[in-house]
Amino acid sequence: MTVRQRYDRGAVLTLAASLVWPLQAWLVARALGGLLAGFPTDGSAGLVWSVAGFVALGTLRAALDALAQRALADRAAARIAELRAELLAGEHATTEASTLGGPGALAALMAEKIDALRPYLLRYRPARLRAMVVPLVILVLAFWHSWAVGAVLLLAGPLIPVFMALVGMAARDASARQMAEIGTLSDLLVDRLAALSDLRLIGAGDAVVDGFADASERLRERTMAVLRIAFLSSTILELFAALGVAMVAVWTGFALLGLVEWGGAVTPVTGIWLLLLAPEFFQPLRDVAAAWHDKAAAEAVQAELARWRAQVRAPVLRGADPAPDGALVLRGVVARGVRLPDLEIAPGERIALMGPSGVGKTTLLRVLAGLDRGEGSVTLDGTPLERVVDDWRAHLGWMPQAPQFLGRSLRYNVGFGAAVPDRTLQRSALTDVVATLPRGALTGLGERGAGLSGGEARRVMLARALNGAPRVLLADEPTADLDAETAQAVAEGLLSHPGTLVVATHDPRLAQRMDRVIRLGA
Amino acid sequence: MRALLGIVALVLRTEHRALLRGFALAVTVLAMGAALLGLSGWFIVAAAASGLAGTGALFNVFGPSSMVRFLALGRTAARYGERLLTHDATLRALSGLRVRLLRGFLAQPWRVLERLRANAVLNRVTADVDALDGVLLRLVIPAVAGGLVLLGAGALLAWLVHPWVGLWVSGGWLLAPTAAFALGQRRARAPARRVEAAGQAMRARMVDLIAAREDLLTYGQLDRQTASVAQATAREADARRALERVERRAGFALDLIGTVVVGGALAIGGGLAQRGDVTPAQAALGVLAALALAEATTPVRRALAEVGRMAQAARRIVPALDPAFDTARSPTQDPTQDPIQPPPPKAPLRLDAVTTGRFAPVTLEVRAGETVALTGPSGRGKSTVLLMAAGVLAPAQGRVTLGGQTPATEADWRRAVVMVPQRHALIAGTLRENLALAGAEAEDDARRAALEAVQLTEVVKAKGGLDATLGFRGAGLSGGESRRLALARAILTRPRVLLLDEPTEGLDHETAAKVMTGLRNALPETAMLVAAHRSEDRKGATCVIALQGLPVAVRKTDI
Repeated sequence: MTVRQRYDRGAVLTLAASLVWPLQAWLVARALGGLLAGFPTDGSAGLVWSVAGFVALGTLRAALDALAQRALADRAAARIAELRAELLAGEHATTEASTLGGPGALAALMAEKIDALRPYLLRYRPARLRAMVVPLVILVLAFWHSWAVGAVLLLAGPLIPVFMALVGMAARDASARQMAEIGTLSDLLVDRLAALSDLRLIGAGDAVVDGFADASERLRERTMAVLRIAFLSSTILELFAALGVAMVAVWTGFALLGLVEWGGAVTPVTGIWLLLLAPEFFQPLRDVAAAWHDKAAAEAVQAELARWRAQVRAPVLRGADPAPDGALVLRGVVARGVRLPDLEIAPGERIALMGPSGVGKTTLLRVLAGLDRGEGSVTLDGTPLERVVDDWRAHLGWMPQAPQFLGRSLRYNVGFGAAVPDRTLQRSALTDVVATLPRGALTGLGERGAGLSGGEARRVMLARALNGAPRVLLADEPTADLDAETAQAVAEGLLSHPGTLVVATHDPRLAQRMDRVIRLGA
Repeated sequence: MRALLGIVALVLRTEHRALLRGFALAVTVLAMGAALLGLSGWFIVAAAASGLAGTGALFNVFGPSSMVRFLALGRTAARYGERLLTHDATLRALSGLRVRLLRGFLAQPWRVLERLRANAVLNRVTADVDALDGVLLRLVIPAVAGGLVLLGAGALLAWLVHPWVGLWVSGGWLLAPTAAFALGQRRARAPARRVEAAGQAMRARMVDLIAAREDLLTYGQLDRQTASVAQATAREADARRALERVERRAGFALDLIGTVVVGGALAIGGGLAQRGDVTPAQAALGVLAALALAEATTPVRRALAEVGRMAQAARRIVPALDPAFDTARSPTQDPTQDPIQPPPPKAPLRLDAVTTGRFAPVTLEVRAGETVALTGPSGRGKSTVLLMAAGVLAPAQGRVTLGGQTPATEADWRRAVVMVPQRHALIAGTLRENLALAGAEAEDDARRAALEAVQLTEVVKAKGGLDATLGFRGAGLSGGESRRLALARAILTRPRVLLLDEPTEGLDHETAAKVMTGLRNALPETAMLVAAHRSEDRKGATCVIALQGLPVAVRKTDI
C-alpha cells in the first residue's frame, strides 16, 4: 500500500510541477503587456516583480519535478526489486527446467527485461496522469478568455488520439514482426557463436558471418518499418501541435489588430498568455506518445512474467531434521514413470547398478540424492528421507553424467569456496592436469568446462564428489566414454572413497570391484 | 571516452552522407521551432501595439501569419525527414558494426575462441552495440546541431533585438547546460560502472544458478548461490540509485538554468524596452525565442543518462573489432599480390618434432591416401596435435608443413586442411544448410552420396530428407548421428588433408567400421590423421603413433 502511495505521490508531483507553468506564463505576459502600456502605475518595479516571480516559480517547478522524480524512482526500484526477488525465489524453489527457456533466457528476464519496466513506471504513468489533467485546465483557461482559442485547442487536441490510434494499430503488427526478428537474430547468434570455434575448423567461419550479416540487414529493414510508422504518428502529433500554436498566434494577432471581431475579447496580456499556454496544451500528449514504446515493452515483460508464474513445477525436497546413520531402504518406489526395485543399502556398502539404457539407473540415483521424489517410501534408518534430506545432502558426494561447471575457478568448482586439499586432487588424478593449466587451480572454467577434455572434466567432478569426505557417494556412468587409462584412474579415485558408494555403470570391470551388483530391468 | 570517439569516427566515416543530411535537417528543425514561437510572440505584441496605436489597418498581417504557418508545417516535415535519415544511417552503421565484431571474434586465437561464453559474446554483439545507437542520435547530432542553432540564434537576436539579449540567450543556453553535462557526466561515471558490473554479476550468477541447479542442490550450495544472486541484485539497485541521484541533480540544475535564462531575457529585454532602446515587440521576440530554444538543450538530460553506458560499451567493443577488416570492405589484400601457390594435390602433411611442451615431440608424415592414427590417454594432447596440424594453434616447438611449406593465412590452410572436431558444430537449420556450411557447392546427388558414405541415408530418410530441420546446436539428431553428419559435411569439402578427432565416438562397432570404410572410399586421395582412442577409429590406418608423455615419440608401423 505504501508503495502505491509513493507512486501516486510521484505522479501527482509531476502534475503539480506542470501546473506551475500557467502562473509563470501569466507573469511573462503581464510583463510584456506592461511594456506595451509603459507600466503606467508602478513603473519598472512591475517588471522586476514579474521577473522575480517568474524565477521563483521556476525554481518551485524544478524542485517539484526533482521530488517527483525521486518518488517515482524509489517506487520503480521497489517494484523491480520485488519482481527480481520473486523470480529468484521461484527458481530457487524448484530444479525443474522452466518452459521459458534455459539459463540465458531466465538471466535475461532477471536483468534486462525486468529493467524494461523502469521507464514505464518513471515516464508513462505520470505522463498519462498529466495528459488527463493539464490539457483540461488549459482548455478551461482558454475558453474563459476566448472561445475561438478554446475551439482551436479543442479541435486539435482530441483529433490527436484518433490519429494516434489508427497509426498505433499499424505499428503493432510491424513491431510484432520486428520483435520476432530480434528474437530470431539473438537465437541465431548464440547458436552460431557456440559453434564458432569448431565451424572455423571446417572453414565455415565466413559463411556464418555472411549469414549473420543477412539476418542483421533484415532486422534493420524491419526496425525501419516500425520506426517509419512510429515517426509518422509522432509527426502527426507534432503537426497538430504546431498548427494549433500557429492558429492561436494568428487569430490572437488578428484580434488584437481588430481585424476579427468574433471569438471573444483579448487584451495583449491574455493574448500572449494564451500563446504561451498553447504548446503546453499539447506537451502532455506528446509525452504520452513518446512513452508509448515503454508501455509496449512493459506489457511484453508482464506477459512473460505471467507465463513464468503460470508454470507448475515440482518443488525441491527440503527437510531440516538431522540425518541418522543407518540403512537406506527403498520400498515400492515409482519415479518418472519407472518402477524401481526394492532395496536396502547398508552404510559403507559398495553397490553397482547395472542394466540397459532407460531402465532407471539414473532415476534411482536421483531418488537417492533427493532430486526426484515419486511414490513409495524412501527411508533412512526408518526416518522418511524427505524429513532429513538437507542434512543427508550435506554428506553426499554427487557425480552426474554430464559435467556442469560454474563460471568460476576450477578450485571453486571443486570445493565451493572451501579448502581443497592436495589429497583430493591426487585421488582424482587431477594433479598433473592442474599443473598444465595456465593459472593452475585458479583457472576459470566456462559453463561447459571449456579448455578441459572430456576425461579431465570427469575427473574434476570426481574431485568435487570426493572433497569434504562425504558419507555417501553417488556416481552416474563415471567411466563412460573414457579411454582405458583414464577410466582406471577414475575407478581408483572412486574406490578410494571409504564410505557408501553407489555407481550406475555399463563398465563390467568397475562393477566387478564393488561389493554387490544390482541388475535393473532383469 | 576515447573509445567512444573512435566509434563516432567509425560511424561518421561509413554513413557520412545520410548523417550530414540528417544533421542539416536537425538544425532546420531547431531553428524553425525557435523562429515559430519567437515570430508568434513578436507578431502578437506588434499587432497589439498597432491596435493600441489605432494603426491596425496599416499592419501587414499576411507576411507574418503565412510565415507562422510555413514554419509550423516546415518544422514538422523537417523533423520527420531528420528522424528517418539519422535512424536509418545509425541502424546501417550498427549492423555493420555487429558484422565486424563477429569477424573480430572469428580472427581471435583459437584457444580464446574456444573459451568464449556464447551468452557473454551475445551480450557484446547485441546489448553493447544497441547501447551505441544513441551515440549519434542522442549525443553528437543534438550537441552539434544545438550548439550551431544557439550560436545562430544568438547572432540573429543580437541583430533583430539587441546585442545584450543575443549574448545572454545564446551564452546562457550554451555554457550552463554544457557545464552541467560535463560535471554530471564525471559524477555519473563511477556509479554507471558499478551498475554495469553488478548487472553482469547478476546475470552470470543467475546463469550458473539455473544451469547447475541440481548439482548446487545436492552439494547444499543452492541457498548460497541464490544469496549471491540476491546480493548482486542489491548491489545493482544501490548503484542505480546513486546514478539516478546524479541524473536528477543535473536535471534540477538544467531546469534552474532554463528559468534563469528566460527570466534574464525578460529582464534585459524589458529594461531595454523601458529605456526605449527596443520596441516591446522586439523584447517579446527575445523572450519567446529564449523559451523555444530550451528545446536545443533538452537532449542533455537523456545524453547524461546514457553516456556512461555508451562509453563502457565502446570500450568493450573497440578492441574486439577486427582490425584487418576495413570498413569499406576494400579488397586490398587480394589483387596486389599473387595468391600463395596452392600446395600440389598430393602434398604430404608433415609434422616435424611438434609439441606444446605437454607431450614428447611428434614427428609424422601423412601422404595422400594414407591414414595415420594417433593414440594416447585422454588429455595427453591428441586434439592439440590435430589443432596444430589444422593451423589454428602454433606449436611451441617444431613445424607443420604442407608439401614443404607453411601456409601463410588461415584461409590458405582451410583450402587444403579440414578438421572434424569432437564437438559436432551443427547449427539450427535444414540438413542441407548444415551440409552446405563448409562452402561446398555440391549437388544434392553428391550430398546423398556423402550421407551414404557415413551410413546416414536411412536416418535422413526417416527425418524427411535434406529439408528436415534441426534445432539449436543440431538438436534432433543423436550424438552418433550428429557426428556422422559432421563427417558427411567434411567429405563434401573434398579436402587434401582431413583431420578427425575421435570420429566414431558414440557409434556401435559395426556402424563405426562401416563409417571409417565409407570415409576412405569417398575420399580415396585424402591424407587422414585420426585421433583415436577406440580400435574402430584405427580401422584402415596405415600406421599408428602413440603420443608419449616421455621425450621420445615411438613410431610403430604395421599393426
